[in-house]
Amino acid sequence: MSSTTGDLGDAIVQLLPRLRRFARSLAGNTQDGDDLVQIAIERALRNSAQLRPDAQLSSWMFGILRNAWIDEFRGRGRRNRLFVAAEYGEQVADPASNLQADMLSVQEAMMRLPVDQREVVSLVLVEGLSYKEAAEIVNVPVGTVTSRLARGRETLQSLLTGSSGERP
Amino acid sequence: MRFSDETLMAYADGELDAASRREIDAAIAAEPDIARRVNLHKFLRARISTEFEPVLNEPVPTRLVVAARKTAKPVWPQWGALAASFLLGALLWQVSGRFFRSEPIISRNGEVVASGVLATALSGQLASDQTAKSPVQLGVSFRSKAGDYCRTFQLRDASGAAGIACHDTNQWQVLALVHDAAGSAAQPEYRQAASALPPAVLQTVSDTIAGEPLGAAEEERARAQHWNASK
Repeated sequence: MSSTTGDLGDAIVQLLPRLRRFARSLAGNTQDGDDLVQIAIERALRNSAQLRPDAQLSSWMFGILRNAWIDEFRGRGRRNRLFVAAEYGEQVADPASNLQADMLSVQEAMMRLPVDQREVVSLVLVEGLSYKEAAEIVNVPVGTVTSRLARGRETLQSLLTGSSGERP
Repeated sequence: MRFSDETLMAYADGELDAASRREIDAAIAAEPDIARRVNLHKFLRARISTEFEPVLNEPVPTRLVVAARKTAKPVWPQWGALAASFLLGALLWQVSGRFFRSEPIISRNGEVVASGVLATALSGQLASDQTAKSPVQLGVSFRSKAGDYCRTFQLRDASGAAGIACHDTNQWQVLALVHDAAGSAAQPEYRQAASALPPAVLQTVSDTIAGEPLGAAEEERARAQHWNASK
């Protein structure tokens, strides 16, 4: 990238809605998600020299954000915090709802996924990346992404429907 | 079982090559069970994606825009719909025309900082001791999430500019600035302190503030410390 840091900042600003979405799906709530985005922005600006000219900025930023999540949140054990954001809590507590008692919101179900499954679910199902793009960001072979994604989906399916996932 | 669940998942995600895809297309047409399993994957994908889609339409917190622009360029928040009325160049030009000798807002080393009457008021004037005649009306003072002291202000000149300045070692950095054209030029004497802050400025306050605004006594203490926050 031949641009100045100012241009990089502008390009990151354009990406902020997607970065926030990705971070939200990893961190489970707005506050932690936005903290994560801020950490990623600071790291990106500090390490802008590492952005290769042919690299896609979005993939690079997703990778930085993902690594920041691993370091900051997993390291501090924050992923283990039982979190129910107000907006989700309301939905869960709504007595008028006919949802099954053991049925979780999507956000809660995501938080129950192991880290290695959650990140590929976030990249592929939330952000719509290809398996190959996700594999590059997580730095594992495509086959590993596929199997983690399959396991993550199976868990989500059972958490979201209250049933154990059907097996073929 | 002719197809593994992973293969059907990859099909639902559009990851298979054309040949495999045709094979599964045919199987779906012939076997309801295959169609059902593929649909489960598609439904789940749609459900997860739909859940997070609204995040894209949320207003982005100013602190993130500020963090991204924390480069050699001036720190400049994004105002969305207000961007059109938010013209620094025009404002600086206009303001500097009014205050030829001491412009209230200047650009120094790529940062937008308070100067002249604005800097004097930010450092010395308390919300409690200002009068309707003060050239700068100060609204609320507060600590930012970064720990700095920040104050909202409004200029009682023709520009009617309103904004937020945060104290940064030895200067007041202007974090947000809105050119309030709403009739301020006509009757500046009717402007009330802190009453007419534009929504964009108030939004930035709520994005930036840590805790509650300072009370009068806390404001006085902050002034006594020359607005240097002990972090």
